[in-house]
Amino acid sequence: MERKLTENISRSSARPVPGDARLRPPCEVACPIHTDAQRYIQLVAEGHYDWALAIIRETNPLPQSIGRICAHPCEEACRRGGVDEPIAICNLKRVASDGAKASGLGYEPPKVEFTTGKKVAIIGSGPSGLAAAHDLALLGVQSVIFEKQPEAGGFLRTGILNYRLPKNILDEDIDYIRGMGVEIRTGSAIGGEINFDDLVQEYDAVLIAVGLSESRPLPIPGADLPQVLLAVPFLEDVNAGRETSGLGKDIIVIGGGNVAIDVARSAKRITGGKVTMVCLEADHEMPAHDWEIADARAEGIEMICSQGPSAFVGDGKVEGLQVKKCESVFDEHGRFSPTFCETELSVIPGDTVIVTIGQMSNLTFLTENGPAVNERGILIFDREQCTTSRRGVFASGEVVTGPGAAVNALASGKRAAIAVARYLGVDVNFSHEPVAIGEVPTDVKEKIKSAPRRQMPARDSGERLKDFEEVETGLGEVDGRCEASRCLLCGSGARFSETKCIACLTCVRVCPYGAPWEDKDGLGGIDPDKCQACGICFTQCPAKAIDLVMLSEDEISGRIYEAVSAGGDLELGCWYSQSRVAPDAALVALPCTSRLSVSLLLGALEAGATKVHVAVCSEDDDGHFVHGHRQTRAAVTEAKKLLEEAGLDPEKIALELVAVKKCMQST
Amino acid sequence: MITAERKPFEQIKAVTDQFENILVVGCNTCVAVCLTGGEKEAEQLASQLRLQRQNDGVGGTVETVTVLRQCENEYVDSVAAQVEGKDLILSTACSIGPQLFADRFPKVRVAPAMNTNMLGVVKQHHVWTEYCAACGDCGIFNTGGICPIVRCAKTLLNGPCGGSQGGRCEISPDVPCVWQLIYDKLASFGLEGNLSRIGGPKNWSKSSSGGPRTMKKEGFEP
Repeated sequence: MERKLTENISRSSARPVPGDARLRPPCEVACPIHTDAQRYIQLVAEGHYDWALAIIRETNPLPQSIGRICAHPCEEACRRGGVDEPIAICNLKRVASDGAKASGLGYEPPKVEFTTGKKVAIIGSGPSGLAAAHDLALLGVQSVIFEKQPEAGGFLRTGILNYRLPKNILDEDIDYIRGMGVEIRTGSAIGGEINFDDLVQEYDAVLIAVGLSESRPLPIPGADLPQVLLAVPFLEDVNAGRETSGLGKDIIVIGGGNVAIDVARSAKRITGGKVTMVCLEADHEMPAHDWEIADARAEGIEMICSQGPSAFVGDGKVEGLQVKKCESVFDEHGRFSPTFCETELSVIPGDTVIVTIGQMSNLTFLTENGPAVNERGILIFDREQCTTSRRGVFASGEVVTGPGAAVNALASGKRAAIAVARYLGVDVNFSHEPVAIGEVPTDVKEKIKSAPRRQMPARDSGERLKDFEEVETGLGEVDGRCEASRCLLCGSGARFSETKCIACLTCVRVCPYGAPWEDKDGLGGIDPDKCQACGICFTQCPAKAIDLVMLSEDEISGRIYEAVSAGGDLELGCWYSQSRVAPDAALVALPCTSRLSVSLLLGALEAGATKVHVAVCSEDDDGHFVHGHRQTRAAVTEAKKLLEEAGLDPEKIALELVAVKKCMQST
Repeated sequence: MITAERKPFEQIKAVTDQFENILVVGCNTCVAVCLTGGEKEAEQLASQLRLQRQNDGVGGTVETVTVLRQCENEYVDSVAAQVEGKDLILSTACSIGPQLFADRFPKVRVAPAMNTNMLGVVKQHHVWTEYCAACGDCGIFNTGGICPIVRCAKTLLNGPCGGSQGGRCEISPDVPCVWQLIYDKLASFGLEGNLSRIGGPKNWSKSSSGGPRTMKKEGFEP
C-alpha cells in the first residue's frame, strides 16, 4: 500500500535549477513542517478561507492553535522582509481558520479508514503526540493517546496561558483529531495502573511523546523556602483555574525564555503587583522572542539582565534574591557556559520567586526492559529513525529534541509518524527536501511597491491585565486580505518549457523585472529570484512556451468556464481591487489581470459569457505589479478589435477602472 | 527572419465561410518570432472564427494545431491525424506553409491566413524592418554592410539619387537615405573615396527571375 504525506525528509541535493519543483519559497523551507504558506496566503488574499485552511491542514494538524502561538521562523525567512517588512504569515493562519470557522467550512474531519489493522500507543497528548496520531490516521494507522492530565493538549494546555491560546481553540483542534478516529484517554498515566511493558505487548508500536513536563529546580541556598515556586506547577495551577498559593505582591521570575515571560505575565494578572524578571543573558541575548518581551514590557514587567542567582535570601520566608553579575553566557563555540563576577553581588528584593530556568522529562514510567536512558537521564534516540533502544518503541517531541517551539514538536511528531508507519509496513512516499529561492535582487526590490505590514490588534495593556482573556484580537477580514496581498508569491511565477521555447526573446524584452534569460545557444529560463508572478511573459509568449506555476492557463480557463457555464456576465478582476465593477457578474479574480491573454478573453465569450468586464487599475497606478495594467489594456484592445472584425459587438468586452486597495499604495 | 502579417479578417472570413470543418495551423518559427502566426496567434484566430461563425449561424468546427516549422515535410506530416476529416487548412505560416500543406494533403483545400512581406530584423520589440531582398548576389562589403537593394526606395546600385534631402529619402522623412548611410559608414573607415568608383553590373540571374531557385548542398545526399 502506498501512501503520500507532504512531510519532507532531509537529503543532500544539488542546487535546483529554475523550474525544479524542489525550489520553494523560503517561508515554506524555514517552516519545520514545510507548510505551503505562500499558497494559503494567496487563498486568504482571494477570500477563500476554507481552501486556505485546507492547505494549512495538509501539514499542520493544529492550525488554530499554531496560528496563535507559532514562533514563525517563516517570517524571518520571508523575502518581503528584504523589501520592507515580512508578511504576517502566522497571523494569516489565524485569519484563514477564523474565516473558515465563520463560514462553517473546513472544520469537518476527514473520514479515515484504518486499513492497516495496526494500532499504536502514544504516550503524551502534546503537539508531538497529536501530530503523530493525526498523520498516522491519514496513513491508515489507528492510535490511542495516553495522557496523564485530565485534559489533552500537553504543554499547550498546561503551559500556555489562555490570553495567548484560549482553551476552546485548543479544544477545537483536538476535537478535529479525535474526529478522525484518534482515541485520547485522559487521566491515564503510564507507570501506574498501566504498565509500560504491557503497552508494548498490547500495541503494534509505542511512541513516547511525553515532552518536558517538569520544572528544573535551582539548587542554591534557600531553595527550600516556601515562597520559592517552580514554573510548571505554577502554570498548571493557573491554567486549571486553581488558586496559586504563596504568591506575594513583589514577585521575581528567574529566567529569560518564553516560559518565563508567560509566568511573569500570569503573575502580573493574578496579583496586580510588581513582577521582575531576572536572567543571565544580556538584554539582546534573551532567549524569549522579541515580540513576547515587548508584550511583557508593555504590561509593566521589569527585566533585569546579566544577573545570575546565587541565593534565595530570607529567614523562614523569601525576602529577596541574591544575584551576581554574569559576565558572559556562552563560550567561544556558542555553547552555554556562563561566567560570573563572584564579587559583584546584589540583592533584588521580593517576597516570591518563581524559578523558570528550564524543564525536564519525567521518565519514571519506563521499566528496566528499556528503552535505555543515558547517564543524564535522557532517552537514547536515533534522530533519523525516531527509534529507541527497544524494538517497536519510538520517541518524538521535546523529550528527545529538547525545548523549542510548538511547531518543532509538530515536526518531530510528524517525522515519528512516518517512522512508525514504515515500521508497520506502510509504504510512505516522500517528497524531496525543498530548497529556498534566493533573495530579491536589488534591481527588482526597487520596482516593488512598499506596503506597510498590518499589525495585529491587541487589547489595551491596562485592560488585558485584568483577566486572562485573549490579548490579540485577530487581523479581521479587511486587514487580513490586505496583508495577504503583500505576499510576493515567491517562486509561483512563470514556468518555462525548454522544449517549446523558440528563443524569440519576447519574454526577455517584456518582463518588467528582468527575470527571463536566454543565452547565446537559445537556452533560456526564468530566474525565480526575480520573477514576481505578474504573468506578462505568459501572455506575450507567442509559442506558449511559458505557463504559470500558480493559476496556470488551464486553471484560469477552468475557473472562467465554471463561472459562466450558465451564461451571464463575467468580471475578471485582481485580488487587490477595492470594489466590484459588475456586482451581479460572476467573478474570477487573479493576482493580476495582466495574466489575461486575448485567447482567455475570447474564450470567456465562447464559454457563454454575455459580457466580460475586465477590472483594471488606472494608468497612473500600477497596483501590485509594474506595468500590469498596460498588458491588460493591450489584451483588451486586441480582443475588442478581433470581435469587431468578426462582426460581434466589441463592447462585449469592457475595460473598467477600479481602485486599488489602500494597502497596496506606496507608503 | 521571414516576417508575415495576418490578412484582414474579411478576407479570411470570405474563404472560411465556404467550409465546414477548419483546421487552423500555426507555425512556431519566423511568424511566431514576429508575433503574428505562432501557437498563440493561431489559437486567437481560431477563437475569433468560432465566435464569428457562431454569431453568423455557420455550423462546423474550427480546431487548431501548431507545428514547429511548416517549411519542413516531417513537421507537416506530423499533423496528418488532425487534418483528417477537415475541409480546409488555414495556415498562419508564411506562404511556404500553406503551399507545403497543399502538396502533402492534395485532397484538402488550403488557404493562407497571412501575407508574407519581407526578410527583416527586430528593431525593437514589436517592430521589424526589412534588411534583405534575397537577391542572391550580396555586395554589402562594398557598401559598408548596408544593402542598397532593399533599403533604397529605388534599388539604386550607385546612389544617391537627386531625391536625397538632408540625409532623408524623398518618399518619407521617416526613411533615412541609404546612400547617405553608406557614405557615412565608409567615411568612418576613411573609404569614402571608394564611392567614386562605379560599381559593376549585378548578377540578377540569381534573383527572382528565370523560374524558382533551387539550392542544393552537395555531398549531403542520403
